[in-house]
Order: sequence, then C-alpha cells, then structure tokens
Amino acid sequence: MAQAVSVAELGLPQLELLKGQLEQEVEFLSSSLAQLKVVQTKFVEAKECLNVLHKGNEGKDLLVPLTSSMYVPGKLQDVRTVLVDVGTGYYVEKSAEDARAFFKRKIEFLTRQMEKIQPALQEKHAMKQAVLEMLAQKLQALTAAPAGAKA
Amino acid sequence: MAEPLQKKLQAELEKYQQLQKELGRAVAARQKLETQLTENNIVQEELQLLDESNCIFRLLGPVLLRQELRQAREHVGKRLQYIGGELKRYEQQELQARP
Repeated sequence: MAQAVSVAELGLPQLELLKGQLEQEVEFLSSSLAQLKVVQTKFVEAKECLNVLHKGNEGKDLLVPLTSSMYVPGKLQDVRTVLVDVGTGYYVEKSAEDARAFFKRKIEFLTRQMEKIQPALQEKHAMKQAVLEMLAQKLQALTAAPAGAKA
Repeated sequence: MAEPLQKKLQAELEKYQQLQKELGRAVAARQKLETQLTENNIVQEELQLLDESNCIFRLLGPVLLRQELRQAREHVGKRLQYIGGELKRYEQQELQARP
C-alpha cells in the first residue's frame, strides 16, 4: 500500500498532515526514551544503595519510612540478603552480590533498549525537518508567485 | 435520486467508523498484552537463574506470601501461555477488522 513519493510532489495539506504525524511519532519516541532513562536511573540508585549493606554497618541505627512523612527508628539487622522486586508481583531474596548482578543486568537491558530507539528517533526527526523545509519552500513559492504576477 | 445514495454512503461511513473503533480497541489490548508478555518473560528468565536456596515471595494484596521455586515457575509459565493465546485471538480480530 505504501509507495515512495517524493516530498516535493506533495501538496500543502498533505505536507501538513505528514508534519503532524511525524511530530506525534517524534513525541512518542522521545517520551519513551525519557521513561527508559528514568527507570534506568532508579536501578542505578538501587545498586548504589547496596553498597551500604556491609558488615561495618551491621547493628547501626537507621530510620524506616512508614509513610512519606513518618519514620520509625530501627537497627540494620541483616546485611547479607535483600528482597528484590523482579516483576509481576514476585519478590526474591537475594544476596547483595546477586542483587548487584541483577541490577547490572537490568541496567544493561535498558541501555540496549534505549540504543534501539535512538536511531529511529533520529530518523523521524530528520524526516520531520525535511518536511518542514519543503513546507516553508512551498509557502514561499506561493507567496512569491502572485507578487511576481502582479509586478 | 441523491437521497438513497446519500443514505447508503452514510451507512457505509458508520460501518467504517465502527471497524476503525474495533481496530483501535484490538490494537490497544494487544499492546497491553505485549507489555505483560515482556514482563513475564523477564520474570521467567530471573526464575531460571535461581535455585532452591533463594526464597521467593509473591505479592497478593498487602501480603507477601512465600512460594516455592517450582510453583513460581509453573505459575509464570501458565501466565505466558495464557497471554500467548490472548495475543493470537486479538491478532485474528485485528486481521478481520483491517481489510
């Protein structure tokens, strides 16, 4: 169904439509990329937090959040294992080392996904620029022609 | 003379809009399923890397329940099968609505 048509052949309303469509696609890809980045940051932070769990800190006092504005005092009891959310409501008890490996895997997975989106986003962006240029050219030609005819 | 023609056009337009709506719904449902599929695949991979020494918990409401590795793997496997079936169903729906 799709045929390759040169952008120069399209009329003004079609160009407008194409521009709108490309803009939407660029929006969507940019927002997906941003979301992936946010999630990746969370995993990086979680990995950093693991560094707190070592023998040196065992038995130390800490504050446990009960709500976003209420904490209770506690003691760091278990520095060997952590409970990790692996998805779909499953939590696994892992050693600090396994948890670190888990986060590393997740971070790498997200990096790969982001790398997949990046070229598509650039391509759409370039296409949008081309359409905008063509649109500007046509508009100029339209406004120049009657002026030329009058003079 | 234009009257019946217009009525016919109107009917065809409504049918087309109806199909468009169905197509939209099928596509949205399929996207949701694809997300669930990916998530469940990730969980299954993680479960493969575990052995009996790790404790697995499942979140049911506000409660974390202990689960056996075997149980968890079975459950995720079944979910994956179910999602696969649902995906096929929606794909067929989509194919019907498209042409």
